[in-house]
Amino acid sequence: MNEFLEQFVIECREQVEQATADLLALEKSPSNIERLDSAFRAFHSLKGGAGIVDFDAMAEAVHGAEDGLSYARKGTIAISTTLIGDCLACLDQVIQWVDEIARRGDLPRDASKQAAAIVARFSRGDGVAAGADPRPQVEQSVGWVTSILAEHPDAAREARCALRYTPSADCFFSQEDPLARIARLPGLLTIDVSPVHPWPQLCDLDPFQCNLVLVALSSASETEIHKALADVLDRCHIEALEETVRRPSSSLSLDARSLLEAQLGLLESTVNDDFAGKVASAGVVVANVFLAQGDSGLAVPIEEATAQSLAEGQTAPLAHAIKAILFEEAAKPGAPLAFGTEHDTAARALRIDARRVDSLVDLTTELTVAKNAIGHVVALAQNGEEGLEQLLKQRFAVLDRLIGELQQGVLALRVLPLRHVFQRFPRLLRDIAAGLDKSVNLVTEGAETEADKAIVEMLFEPLLHVVRNAIDHGIEDKAGRLALGKPAVATLKLRGYREGENVVIEIADDGQGINVERVRQVAIDRGVATAEALAAMSESQVTALIFEPGFSTAQSVTDLSGRGVGMDVVRTIIVRMGGTVGIESRPGAGTAVRFTLPFSVMLTRIMVVSAAGQKFGIPLDAVVETLRVGPDAIARVGAAQAIVLRNQTVPVIDLREALNLHGESDRRRDAILVVANVDGVSSALQVDVIGERFDAMLKPLEGLLSGTPGLAGSTLLGDGSILLILDLTELCR
Amino acid sequence: MTVKAAVNGIVVLSGVCPSEDAEPLQRYLQADPVPTVDWRTCETLHAAVFQVLLVARPHMVGPPGDDFLRRLAGHLPR
Repeated sequence: MNEFLEQFVIECREQVEQATADLLALEKSPSNIERLDSAFRAFHSLKGGAGIVDFDAMAEAVHGAEDGLSYARKGTIAISTTLIGDCLACLDQVIQWVDEIARRGDLPRDASKQAAAIVARFSRGDGVAAGADPRPQVEQSVGWVTSILAEHPDAAREARCALRYTPSADCFFSQEDPLARIARLPGLLTIDVSPVHPWPQLCDLDPFQCNLVLVALSSASETEIHKALADVLDRCHIEALEETVRRPSSSLSLDARSLLEAQLGLLESTVNDDFAGKVASAGVVVANVFLAQGDSGLAVPIEEATAQSLAEGQTAPLAHAIKAILFEEAAKPGAPLAFGTEHDTAARALRIDARRVDSLVDLTTELTVAKNAIGHVVALAQNGEEGLEQLLKQRFAVLDRLIGELQQGVLALRVLPLRHVFQRFPRLLRDIAAGLDKSVNLVTEGAETEADKAIVEMLFEPLLHVVRNAIDHGIEDKAGRLALGKPAVATLKLRGYREGENVVIEIADDGQGINVERVRQVAIDRGVATAEALAAMSESQVTALIFEPGFSTAQSVTDLSGRGVGMDVVRTIIVRMGGTVGIESRPGAGTAVRFTLPFSVMLTRIMVVSAAGQKFGIPLDAVVETLRVGPDAIARVGAAQAIVLRNQTVPVIDLREALNLHGESDRRRDAILVVANVDGVSSALQVDVIGERFDAMLKPLEGLLSGTPGLAGSTLLGDGSILLILDLTELCR
Repeated sequence: MTVKAAVNGIVVLSGVCPSEDAEPLQRYLQADPVPTVDWRTCETLHAAVFQVLLVARPHMVGPPGDDFLRRLAGHLPR
């Protein structure tokens, strides 16, 4: 993708965000002219951008929405939920296209058709058409394609595209010759000409007012036709005539896919058992999958293929039929994507405040000065000057400060406000609420709280999942709420705040809370925990079981949640980001899920220790204290060792033994211990020497070393040697 | 000028007929109660000119020299 397109993609996303926020605000207060103007501007910019990069279908679609909004501005039509919904649908389409552009650098092939569908939304009945729109309502006459195909059966066989061009009445004055344009069309098969309005008498005819509608069939592809009509696309309606059979729009669900794949595996397995039974059962399963999906159209070819397979005594026909559906589904672009799929991958490019970049530039200047100052010291040293120590110390202090600032500055570039992820929720909630008899008011707090870019970007999916769960399972329906004396509109609170070095994100609802008894029951039923284990658990521990794999309390699988992805996925993602998940539930009053995440995923404070002459790093956040104790203080407990520390027995792990090191030891009489707290349990590591402490960017181990137990990563030491960072969780286990 | 009224009252369209031809053509066709147009040597026809033909519906003497025009011929009386 070239730079130009990259910019376009970034801008589009920004404009869509802006427009979405404006539209949602407008829906709440339709009299807010500023929001209306702002939304209009965003649509206008989107259209302009699409025009510049020649994505005409996109420009066309956005133009439709822009028209709708412009009538609303003039007061011709009211700002209705329908209008807002249509505009949002247009934005959805734009984002899908933008994703496609980001992936492939171009719009999908059926973009013009999708654009026409969007435009049609704005030209249907409710007042927009009654407005002063001078453009032809091309979508009204759906029959034109059928009629031209019927009138020219020969041409119809070769035709790949039908088009209808209604030039503007004054087009002759702008050097437009509609006939010449159609004559130049690639692959022209036939042309029909008819008047827009009934012809007047010859004497009343103004020959310079164009009153023509041109309908043509072409054997060229839709794209070629688009190119040829690029500058009059807003007056054209182009219909691709490719396959007559359209696949049902519903995509295969994950379950369906896996079932199909399983049948395929069964068919292809070489185990020579009952052939007929194998084919017949696979055929029935696959056909049932489609019937269950509501795609009875797909079940028919499968049944035929099954019959063919049985007749030929080969699995191939049925296997091919299944493969064709599986792969076609996979290759099919543009189907409305479910929440939390690839569609939601955040923008890779990042806009940075110019001031932050400026301060970095200033820093580099200062660094250059500091470097020169060291050059001076080097020159002095070469001349055999004595007593440079003091000077070097000074220079080091300057460099230390500057590099610290540089690090801060660079990290700040990676910082994003939570707004980036929060702002997607009002829109999602609107959609979710529309599908349920639940009314939810979203309150966001602390959207300006900043967190590392990587974290903000990864937050969307787990947040969405928790929000979905809250609405689906936590919040009662309107009637239920009223009966309980709660307000009919539920409140969902999305809150972000800094807590020390952590960023906390809280999702709180005022629903029914979590039914601990049910959690216990389900945990036993699904084997998540044994009855004995449950009996020993506190209520909050039981509640936390919902994050265990294999747990899902949904009684029925709904559209919203319960797609077989449980809350365990949420925990996995958060833990992978270095965070923790907490849940608090008050029966009848609501549930709060809390993500606690590190502010930065990059810097870790490291303490260097050595054992058997080898240096290792320990993440300092786990270290509670360091001790020097006499050899008598460590007591043998069976095969292990322990020390009593403030009346607590703490196991002692000898690093040399734990890592099986054989190097020379410079262990003195006293033992040096590093007491670390891992998962709430203290352990003491016995080391030879405790060294420096510093902040480091941890690099996960790669290649052969990746996955080595006991090692968390690596970083570089001042002398350029590699320092391995120990994974205390692993060591202290 | 590519629109000409021949001596026999037949209007002849020849070569490239630009939009400017629409007005004189309209005048010629209005003057003749049963107009006839010969477009056998016509190569291209501006949409403005074609509109006049569509309204006046003169008797057309053809076929015209150009492929595309032959496709349009179906809209006009022979």
